[in-house]
This record gives sequence, structure tokens and C-alpha cells, in this order.
Amino acid sequence: MITTLELFVFLIGGFTGLIVAGAIAWTKDLGLKMTWWKWLLAALWYILLNFFVFLDFTLIGEGESGAGLKLLFVQAIFMIVLLVGLVRLLGAGRQKQP
Amino acid sequence: MPEQANNKKRNVSRREFLKIGGTLAAGLQVGAAAGAGLAAGKDPATHTGWQHLGDNIQFVDRKPLEIDGNPYEKVGRARRPEAVEQIFDRQGLIMRDMMKSGRNEKTPRAIGDIPPESQSRQSPAGSGQMKFPARDQFADPLGSFYTEHPDIYDLDKLRMESIMPKRMKDMAKYRNYYTLIESWSGCWGTSEPIKGPPEKSDFQISNPMMGNTKLRDPVPFKSTALASKLIKKITHHFGASMVGIAKLNPDWCYNYGLRGSKNHGPYEVPKHWEYVIAFGVPHQWEQVNSNPNCGTSFDAYARATIAARRLENFIKSLGYPARRHSPMDGYDLIAVPILVDAGLGQQGRHGIVITPETGSNFRAAFVTTNLPMEIDKPIDFGVNEFCSQCKICAEICPSSAISFGPDNKDMTTRGYRHWEINQTSCFNYWMQSMGGLGCRLCLIACPYSRKNNWAHSLARTVATKDPSGLTDRGLTWFQKTFFKSPEAVEYLPPPDGRFATFREPPDWLKAKNYLDIDICDPTKGE
Repeated sequence: MITTLELFVFLIGGFTGLIVAGAIAWTKDLGLKMTWWKWLLAALWYILLNFFVFLDFTLIGEGESGAGLKLLFVQAIFMIVLLVGLVRLLGAGRQKQP
Repeated sequence: MPEQANNKKRNVSRREFLKIGGTLAAGLQVGAAAGAGLAAGKDPATHTGWQHLGDNIQFVDRKPLEIDGNPYEKVGRARRPEAVEQIFDRQGLIMRDMMKSGRNEKTPRAIGDIPPESQSRQSPAGSGQMKFPARDQFADPLGSFYTEHPDIYDLDKLRMESIMPKRMKDMAKYRNYYTLIESWSGCWGTSEPIKGPPEKSDFQISNPMMGNTKLRDPVPFKSTALASKLIKKITHHFGASMVGIAKLNPDWCYNYGLRGSKNHGPYEVPKHWEYVIAFGVPHQWEQVNSNPNCGTSFDAYARATIAARRLENFIKSLGYPARRHSPMDGYDLIAVPILVDAGLGQQGRHGIVITPETGSNFRAAFVTTNLPMEIDKPIDFGVNEFCSQCKICAEICPSSAISFGPDNKDMTTRGYRHWEINQTSCFNYWMQSMGGLGCRLCLIACPYSRKNNWAHSLARTVATKDPSGLTDRGLTWFQKTFFKSPEAVEYLPPPDGRFATFREPPDWLKAKNYLDIDICDPTKGE
């Protein structure tokens, strides 16, 4: 019998595959010169984003909406700062498409 | 050439698909993380209240936390607690002396002696106004106790002369608002007094068909380890969420009022109280979060008591003497140090035990026996260090009973060093609160009293393993900054406060949702 959890994990697995394929397509189109550590940093940023969202909504779910929303706001600023740094790093040595 | 162009177009469209699909999938995945988080937060199975912590849910492995030696440092002459030091028993002594004083000097009757139905007629400003006698008018042991502790005399006087009459006025005005929590609290009432002294009652088993019968010959166990394992299993099945076993330190037994005994003075600790099985349950989750004014102690009290009665009978049925010590049937011993000795938790700044599973949300019962069992070791999961810097309980306490001191090095009670609170101030707030009587705010404000979902488990695990204390400080800052709750003064009665609750009470404890009665809501300044 397929449970909700199994279905959820299956869908998340499918999404992850699509995200990886999509990320490769984006890097090619944008002419980014990716190395293993750039991929690692990008993946870490994305995992951190998901972790923060998971944490904030866990707090909201347990009735601590104030704490969850405040944290979401602080983390959003933090993630934007990290994203700007990451984009600059990934864009270094970028080959412009003809 | 056209074929090449077509290929390029196909490649481009596939790439475009992957780009759009990948972006959409990332968005959906973040949304799924939000949904999963929401579900994890809402999941009632993560509540650390008794309704979701049935039997055998002692989910923290204590082995790595065990310590050798005595968890309490001896710093002087150890002695057993006397009646005047225990707030409820002191209240009894006060009433006794005031009654005597009333008879002799025709002063008004004491409040606790007035039946509830006529209490509302006793106006604090009218003939029911009580006068607390001067220190020297109290007989010993109260008289000498007050001479030694004039600060406690002042607090007791405040309670008897001002707090209790004010509470009667508050009750008259706001009682309807608390109808459901009072009913919920009161319905747990169950007690069955111990009927004889230990040498008699501990060696008899109550059989509904045959009355009291003597114990059979003790049934030997294969080993003390197996005896311990079985007793813990059975105690869990009888309803306890956590169980530990210790040798009974006689210093933890009261020095008066042995239940079932005609002698109310000092007594020798019975020799067959060799071991003590310590166990208990947390409160129901929603109501413990509604403290102090919409909570109760009696749900967990009653459950721990019933487990104690069952366990006492079980041990007796195997031929070993046993005596229960429980919230509803009374104790001959003090709970906190025994829970610590039995490895169930550590004593916190607020004076009560913090367990690794449910934090301070825990109510205890005990059975003393001579059934030989393997004992547990005390544990250390960093509570002392955490409490030294946290102070959330001290900040939120409406009675200022909890110390803000940097540590417990100057705190000595009857020859042992440990955290202590001002019991009298604490009790004086009980006498101001509404609902199920009492406070319990420190139980639920304690950062250890959290759910058992992934976020809190992660925080607990990291904090326990971080020797630098950085995680402790970070988590305390996090709770103080992000988890807002009413300030201490808001829990006080109007007009100073508004009878606030730590969290919004559940719908099922709100009288206005169900009952067709006039309600005066103090939380809205009515």
C-alpha cells in the first residue's frame, strides 16, 4: 500500500531530478563555468533555504506563529545576502553567449 | 542545414523545458518543505503531554548521561524536612493557631475553615476581615520558625490578610470565565488515604473480595537486574511515562506526619523502605500551556497516583512490602531529590526536576519497598549550566519566587546544595491565581518543556553535546527574542495584571464557547 509519506518522498525525488537537470540547463544557457565546489555551494544554499523554510513552518505549525514569521523574515534577509554572494561567485569568468 | 536548425530548435526547446521545469520544481520543493514543516509542527504525536506519551515512552537513552557519585553536594549537617518548612503543612499550622487564637480572643474565623458556599458572603472589608496574629502569639514550632525567618512571617501575613480576601473577590467576579477549567481540574480528584502505619499497611494487600490480607512469602527474582527491568516495564504499563529506581536516602523523608500513623511527630524511616521506584507523567499538553490561570495539576497528579496504587499492589502481590507516595494520596518523602537520584532528571533553577524527555512538565509518584532491584545512576545533561545562564523562569515568575543568582553555590537546604526558591512567595501567587489553582508557569516556560518534534529534538541533542555552552546561550537568546509570552506582571489579578496565560487556552477550556452563562473576561480588562 502506498502511504502519503511514500508518495511525498517519490514526488520530492522527482522534483530533485528535475531541479538538477534544470540547474545544468541554466548554467549552460548563462555560460557559467561551474566547478565541483561551485555546485556544492549552490546545493548548500538551496538545502539551507529548504531547511529554514521547514524550520519556520514547523514553528508556525506548532502554534508559535510569531516566532516562525519573525525567523522567516530574518532568514530571508540572510538568504538574500548569501544569494548575492553566490551569484557573484558563480558569475566570475562567465562566458557571454553570442 | 534545415535539419541542423531543427535539431538546434529541438535542443533549445528541451533545454527551455528543463529550465522552466527545474525552476517550477524548485518552487514546489520549497513549498513542500513549508507544508512538511507545518505538518511536523501540528503533529499531535509530538506533544510531550500524557495524552501522547503513553506507556514506555522514555525515549532518551540515559546511559551516556550517567554520572558516578552523589548528585547533591553535602555542605553541612543534613537533616530531614520539618512541617513548618513545607508550605501546605505550615498553612495547616497557621490555621490551627489562628483557630485557637480565635477561640481564645474572639477574633474572626480563619478563611480556610469557612465552607466555600459561605465564603463569598465573607466580605474582606466586613466581619470576615482576618487579622494575622503577631509573631509571638504563635505556638511552637511556628513561633520559633517565624522568629528565625521574619521574611516568611511577612509573606504569610500578606497572604492571610490581603491575598486570600482579594482572591475571594476575584472569584466572585471572574469565576464563570473559569468554569470549564475548574471542572476539568476538579474532575480528576481521587484519593485513598493510607490506613495504617508502615509496619502494618505496607505488609497488607487490599483484596476487594477478601479485605486486607497478609502478604505471601516474597517471590525470588532470577537477578536484581531482571527485577528492575520487570518493575520498570510494569510501571510503564500502569501509566507512567518515565521510571527510575534508587536506594532511598533517609534524608529525603519528612520528619513528621507519617501517613497512617497516630504519631504526627518525628519517626524512624522504616527499614523496609530500602528502594524507591520513582515515576511520573507529564501534564496534558494544551492545558499545561494555558498556565497559570487556565491549567491544573490534577490531570497528571491523578494519573501518577493511579499508577502508584497499581504498582504498590503489584509488588505486594509478589510478597514484598510496599507503600505508595503520590500526589493524591500524600507523600512521606520529598520528590525532587529522589527523582534526581533515580536518574530521571536534574533539579533546575525553579526547584523542580527537568527531565530530558518532557522538561519540567512532569509529575511524580513513588513506591518504597524492599524488593531487591538494580538501581539507576543520576544523570547530567547540562541542566545546571543551562539554568545558570537562562533565567527565563525567574523572569516570568509572577511571584518573584525564583532566584536570579548566577548559580546555586550559595543555596543550601538542610545540608545539601541545590537550587531553591522562595516557597512562600510561590504559594502566595497560587492564592491569587484563578482556574485550577496553582501556577505551574515555570513548568511550561522552561525551554526544556517543548514538543518532541525534529526542531526541538535537534536543539536538545546539540545543546547536550556542546561543552562550550554556546548552543545553550544561543537557544536562550532565541527563545527570549522570538518566542514572546506575557510579562510576569500580566499573570497577576486585575488591576495590576489581567490573569494572563502563557499560551492561549484551547477552545475546549473556554466557557464562552460552550456555556450559556454571563462571563466577565479578565484577559480583556473587563
